[in-house]
Amino acid sequence: MSLAREFTKGLWRDNAVFRLLLGLCPALAVTTSAVNGLGMGFATTFVLVCSNFVVASLRKVIPARVRIPSFIVIIASFVTVVQLCMEAYFYDLHKALGIFIPLIVVNCLILGRAEAYASRNPLLPSVVDGVGMGLGFTLALFVLGSVRELFGVGTLLGFTVFGAGYQPLILMILPPGAFIAMGLLLAGMNRIESLRK
Amino acid sequence: MKELARLVLVLTLIAAGAGLILSLVERATREPIAEQRRQETLRALSAVLPPADNSPDTDTVSLVVGKDRRGRELQRLFFRGRKGGEVSGVAFKVVAPDGYSGNIAIMVGIDPTGTVTGVEILSHAETPGLGDKITEAWFKEMFKGRNLDNADWRVKKDGGEFDQITGATISPRAVVGAIHRGLDFFKTHQDEILASSGGSGQ
Repeated sequence: MSLAREFTKGLWRDNAVFRLLLGLCPALAVTTSAVNGLGMGFATTFVLVCSNFVVASLRKVIPARVRIPSFIVIIASFVTVVQLCMEAYFYDLHKALGIFIPLIVVNCLILGRAEAYASRNPLLPSVVDGVGMGLGFTLALFVLGSVRELFGVGTLLGFTVFGAGYQPLILMILPPGAFIAMGLLLAGMNRIESLRK
Repeated sequence: MKELARLVLVLTLIAAGAGLILSLVERATREPIAEQRRQETLRALSAVLPPADNSPDTDTVSLVVGKDRRGRELQRLFFRGRKGGEVSGVAFKVVAPDGYSGNIAIMVGIDPTGTVTGVEILSHAETPGLGDKITEAWFKEMFKGRNLDNADWRVKKDGGEFDQITGATISPRAVVGAIHRGLDFFKTHQDEILASSGGSGQ
């Protein structure tokens, strides 16, 4: 597989949220606005790229029997780095995302890529895989957050889209709205896929 | 045995490397994080206090407000704003435990006579679009100029005079109740709170 293919697979064909249905807990929980989706997506991408980098470079050193604890220690370290930096420099985002930043540790997307890809592939493809998968995850969270913010509040990225007369569909930014938006987007993706065949 | 040693060694080295990196990052971000938290408190204080020329976040009195379930004492910090040395206002944090979901933390500012000068919602988890209207300006403005004598501290639905929010009575009721209890506490302890010690902790 070429590097370009490694990169684009995460955006669409193997998109973490919409195709593999991985990492749904943060995807559903924090996407009450487009900005939250982007913030969570970039934080996850950073952790994913760094952990893929370290796991791929240590793949011949880490014995198979302790690989899972090793991966978890590596991932947890980068998550803590993200958490500290976010609190120090993006305080509002830190408050909005709250508990879901430390919970990136248990995002099965990251452990999944470390186990299934980075531990078996050289450095460069692993980093590219991490960037692609991470951006695909960010894209999914951004779309989900945009749809929910648009209908639930009537704004997009904080800018008013529907005029003052718009009665917001509050349900969309409540937890059930996450499932409804997710289901509709999944159905749309599957429809596009079946038409392409 | 050799295999086991290798497992232990690799895992230990990885953990040690992680610990090293984390301690470096923690050291680099410690100052900015402390500053962000201080700024947050200062923003809330300046929003609720009348104009002051000191830094209220260092001019504080701490009083015991009660005991928690395990019998430990609960402290409440009173921030004092001063103008020309005289106390011009006092701010304190109250927590409404009876909101619709989770605690509502509120910063209340009052003048030395116990009249509210401003209210700020610090944190809450009320329903977006319904209960979270307690953070809107019109709701917070309602409390300005009110004190224990000139207002009936209940929402209109309970016979008081504070507007509730359509579709969400529980959140405003909790906020009104918490501020009321805070004012009561201030009234009974105002001598200690206003005592001009020139600022404890300085």
